[in-house]
Amino acid sequence: MKKMWSCLCTTALIASLLTGCTNQTTANEKIHIEFFQNKPEAVATFDQLIERFEKMHPTIDIEQNNVPDSETVLRTRLVKEDVPDLLAIGGNTTYGDIAEEGLFYDFSEDSAIEKVIPDYVNMLNLLGRTNKEDNGIPFATNANMLLYNKDKFKELGLQVPKTWDELINVSKKIQKQGEIPFYFTYKDAWTAMVPFNALAGNLQGDNFIQDRNSNKTTFTERYKETLKKMLTLLDYGHKDNFGRDYNAGNRAFANGESVMYIQGSWAISAIKAINPKINLGSFPLPASNDPSENKLVSGVDTALTMSKDTPHKKEALMFIHFLLEKENSQYYINEQNSFSAVKQVLQKDEALKELNPYFEQQKITSFPEHYFPASMQAANLIQDFLIKGQVKPFLAKLDSEWNKIKARE
Amino acid sequence: MAKQSKVYYWMVLPAFLIFFIFHTVPVFQGMIYSFTNYKGYGDFNFVGFKNYVNLFKDQRILASYGFTFKFAIVSTILVNIISLAIALGLNAKIKFQHTLRAVFFVPNILSVLIVGFIFNYLFAFFIPQIAEQLNITSLTQNILGNPDLAWIGIVIVAVWQAVAFNTILYLAGLQTIPTELYEAASLDGAGKWKSFLHITFPLIASFFTINMVLAMKNFLMVFDHIIAMTNGGPGQSTEAISVLIYKGGFSGGEFAYQSANSVIYFILIVVISVLQIKFLQKREVDM
Repeated sequence: MKKMWSCLCTTALIASLLTGCTNQTTANEKIHIEFFQNKPEAVATFDQLIERFEKMHPTIDIEQNNVPDSETVLRTRLVKEDVPDLLAIGGNTTYGDIAEEGLFYDFSEDSAIEKVIPDYVNMLNLLGRTNKEDNGIPFATNANMLLYNKDKFKELGLQVPKTWDELINVSKKIQKQGEIPFYFTYKDAWTAMVPFNALAGNLQGDNFIQDRNSNKTTFTERYKETLKKMLTLLDYGHKDNFGRDYNAGNRAFANGESVMYIQGSWAISAIKAINPKINLGSFPLPASNDPSENKLVSGVDTALTMSKDTPHKKEALMFIHFLLEKENSQYYINEQNSFSAVKQVLQKDEALKELNPYFEQQKITSFPEHYFPASMQAANLIQDFLIKGQVKPFLAKLDSEWNKIKARE
Repeated sequence: MAKQSKVYYWMVLPAFLIFFIFHTVPVFQGMIYSFTNYKGYGDFNFVGFKNYVNLFKDQRILASYGFTFKFAIVSTILVNIISLAIALGLNAKIKFQHTLRAVFFVPNILSVLIVGFIFNYLFAFFIPQIAEQLNITSLTQNILGNPDLAWIGIVIVAVWQAVAFNTILYLAGLQTIPTELYEAASLDGAGKWKSFLHITFPLIASFFTINMVLAMKNFLMVFDHIIAMTNGGPGQSTEAISVLIYKGGFSGGEFAYQSANSVIYFILIVVISVLQIKFLQKREVDM
């Protein structure tokens, strides 16, 4: 009996790996379109936009579907070939993997693709595409940045640093006056990827991913500086860098416990919710000592796409075109503190305004991590590296992990 | 007679069918996928034993087995010692016996995610603050952020929660022992410790077996505690097998590879449970 019990439970576990949850829309007079969307914080904003759209098109009913851990859910649904009609998902490896499988619509002939900045279209296509198709339309973008407390900067008499050395000098000054320069939140492994991407995006050199894929280069060759600088930054953290999580970090920075905070544009609304009076500014993490070389690391936060086989192709396209209208895109980025992939739509928020020149001059580079294989789970590796603090063995480890995964494919 | 037995078959059939369709079939599907390069969607080819060969070369997989066994063995032993002690206490003639029994059962009905959230807070802020005031430097940092100590944090939470259920089983066991035995033993001059060792423990041996097997199996399959507290981190130091299967299989897009891992995992749990039962049942005595 007991043996049976244990068999049953193990069976149940494995069985649960193979089943997912369905979300079938029922037929009605209205046309129902499922809109699968990956950002819990954007639910209300999309609800507003959907309401506007449905007012203009009363026969269409867009059903927003947002689930926790949406990437995993999406992958489980694809196991059953159950692709949502419309999708708004992050521009990362998950997007690329699915696009390569030929499950998405081809937008290359559609006018929507001309409304957006081509750099971002390329970023998506680099992740993965079916043949030579354009399988996704960038909608909103995000950026990695150094948020700083403007009041504290003024109080301590500091200037916004333009180079790596200046950044370290500023940090030293802050420390000398008894304040904490950076509030690290490395208990959540993914937060270590923010400085990692900001540094590696600028320091890894041209065509790293392509060259790594064809074994023309290695992490050992190109990533030493990035990792060394990650360790240097650690000297300017607080006393429990690996014990605090993202939420604790937002709270601490919002309440003025640290002067700077390395995070992405997505953290701003959370910080402002805790302390609405905080006077925020932002600048890109200056990775090198040549100010003209330092770029802003920005990626596609939300890519719009749709199922190749949706029965409501026309209506789904209408919604995509609706979202790309300047007015709607502007509304979305204002609500979400993100940036727009639509041409000539700029972020006007006080905290983010300082970054606009980088968008206008197209001094933008992509998140390197988005091009790593997902099964590498780089975040946990980097977290481990930061705890152990040894550059050389870790470079070798990055290469061996990469090779191992490529060999398994 | 023949008619009656047919009725019994009909009673069993629905459960059997449901079990077969929803449990057995997917298990075989998973086993088949483990011999392919299936990503979870799209096309796939059969690749033979490639996934299994790669499993044994993957340091990360081996590390997760190491962690899971370390965690399961330590937790199983702790849970059984603590819950037996609590059960003995609650079985004795003490005041508020019923209230206390209810109180000790509470952890079992709380959701793991809530418990994880509370303990996360305790480990991050509460314990370090106390440690600082008492000058215990080793505890002034969140132990969940330390790769060498994080597993202890998870053991604490898992044991705290699992003790409740095992205590109930032990309590049930203790109540099956007739009090005359203790009276006879005390007439013969046996102390508390002697009567525990020679009467109580042998007579609840079957409950000991159940508790050991259940606890071991539960802890080998640990998942929610880790997701709630460390998500496998820091680094990969608390990545249990099931967490790795989930992360690598879905977020990592290595469905077939992790299917192979779950097949091995399944076989291991079956083998361990069978061995445990065989070994422990030998020690049981019949009244």
